[in-house]
Amino acid sequence: MTETVARTEDALDYGAASGTVFDIGYQRYAGRREGRGRSRVAVFKDGFRTALGFGRGARAKVLPWFFIGVLSAIGLVMAIVAGAANRLGGPGTAERAGLPSHSDFYSFASIILFVFAAVVAPELLCPDRRNRVISLYLVRPLSGSDYILSRWAAFLVVMLAAVWLPQFILFFGLSMGDPDPVAYLRAHWLDIPRFLASGAAMAAYTTTLAMLTASFTTRRAYASVFLVGLFIITAPFTVGLAEEIKGPAGPWVSMFNLTNIPVHVNDVIFGEASEITEDAPARTLGSAMLVAWYFLWTLGPGAVLWWRYRRLSP
Amino acid sequence: MASGEPLLAVEHLTKHFGDVVALNDVTFSISDGITGILGENGAGKSTAIKILLGLLQPTSGTASVLGRNASQSVAVRARVGYMPEHDCLPTQTSAAEFLTHMAEVSGLPPAMARTRAADTLRHVGLFEERYRAIGGYSTGMKQRVKLGQSLVHDPAFVFLDEPTAGLDPAGREDMLTLIRKTHREFGISVLFSSHLMADIERTCDRIIVLQDGRLVQSGEVGQFTRETETVFIEVDSNRPELAAALEKRGVAVTVERSGLTIEGPDESVYDHVRDALVEARAPLRRMAPRRRALTELFDRADDIASTNGVA
Repeated sequence: MTETVARTEDALDYGAASGTVFDIGYQRYAGRREGRGRSRVAVFKDGFRTALGFGRGARAKVLPWFFIGVLSAIGLVMAIVAGAANRLGGPGTAERAGLPSHSDFYSFASIILFVFAAVVAPELLCPDRRNRVISLYLVRPLSGSDYILSRWAAFLVVMLAAVWLPQFILFFGLSMGDPDPVAYLRAHWLDIPRFLASGAAMAAYTTTLAMLTASFTTRRAYASVFLVGLFIITAPFTVGLAEEIKGPAGPWVSMFNLTNIPVHVNDVIFGEASEITEDAPARTLGSAMLVAWYFLWTLGPGAVLWWRYRRLSP
Repeated sequence: MASGEPLLAVEHLTKHFGDVVALNDVTFSISDGITGILGENGAGKSTAIKILLGLLQPTSGTASVLGRNASQSVAVRARVGYMPEHDCLPTQTSAAEFLTHMAEVSGLPPAMARTRAADTLRHVGLFEERYRAIGGYSTGMKQRVKLGQSLVHDPAFVFLDEPTAGLDPAGREDMLTLIRKTHREFGISVLFSSHLMADIERTCDRIIVLQDGRLVQSGEVGQFTRETETVFIEVDSNRPELAAALEKRGVAVTVERSGLTIEGPDESVYDHVRDALVEARAPLRRMAPRRRALTELFDRADDIASTNGVA
């Protein structure tokens, strides 16, 4: 008995210190149990790793890193173009020439962000239900709500990285491209909280819609195709229909352009219209309505997603 | 949990799914050891396990696990393990990574989770294969991974739902040995659901028999088999005369096509058999004690039901 206890304590000490795997055979565990909090963190961590393909083969890494690379490249190109203009034409040339900046980034990148969410988010939910691993989660100290909130948070963090990284690249590029970087920072430091808030709105919206869609199928491909179709089809359809209808119904039809919903919030935060929303009839409904509509389309699907998993049993 | 208190207890447990009665006023308790829960498909075994795991709310009655109300305590699941009957494993993950993750989800710190995963995989016989993707495993290996994930966090109690399903005879024997070892060497109590009587008979200390959602029998496995112990006698000729001679001596005999069966004999019956064989001039071919299989529990349950007028 004494020997067993000693061996357990040794394993605990060494294991905690170095993470080394000891081959001492099965034995009773007398160490710390961290409960529900650890369970949530474990599901979150696994979701984060799955989304970025960590710990998996090269194929699993291709798609997420391709999209993150493309988004970063857009930020980099914008920074190079604006920086070159400022260097050649003097400070403020890019702004005066109307070259795209932070407020325009999401209007360019939104469709790529939607496709990224459509392709990657289902990987966090569909295989667990297809392989019925979910039944093993739900018999542990974890509720259905814990599971889905942890998975949602994991993908939200990935999305935040995808939306903020290019903006930071752009900000760094614009600062360094300006002949007087300090003056640029003084004049434009408010862009940082603005793009952080705008990016968070974009990430929360796309994450929630993508996760909700993934919760209805066990096949990742079905969820991805449906989501891409939803974003790509609703845009031209609602734009065309709003132009046809005109009158007071036009702006409301325009509100159903799912691609524009978070971009309208971006416009409200930056106080100016983006490339893709400047002609949108929905803008006539006012900022409060556009923000409320955004929350409806984020919190509503979020509530449905939570409700679906709350009542799930293996 | 106070010592002496049962590990699991259900009282007047009833569960309805619409008009279907899955469990009907079931009461039992389980202490340390390996307990078999036996019943045909649809008898209510899985429903009982899900209620004990807190995954289903009972329509009425109570279920407690390790002294806590199962449906009101998510935390109690940190101390129980569950091996489902159905497939429940990821295909692209290695067994080592999967068990480590499951240990963490059960609340173990990451470093200990890794150590426990390696130890558990050794226990279930998959140590050499632990870095291979589970999708490439055989059925027997997948069953071992399922057992491993139910043990990796060192539960006080483990629910095994049809653990031998889909296994060949050798794999089945290995799995039963592993289950016995899990209790005898590590003291983890087991509730083992099966519709295979032989598995229950060979592995369990106690048995609970469910039929159509009702509890029809419960007690020590040895007690059931003792109750149904018989002696089988086969003779070359004069079987009716032998039966008559035995009945004359007060021995209850059942005449079968291939011989005679004496129910629940005590030591004195062998003297009566010897005398009756001489009297009936019946040449003895074979006489052997025989234990009835647990299958007969269902026949007896049916008899009880028909006697009570239950359809």
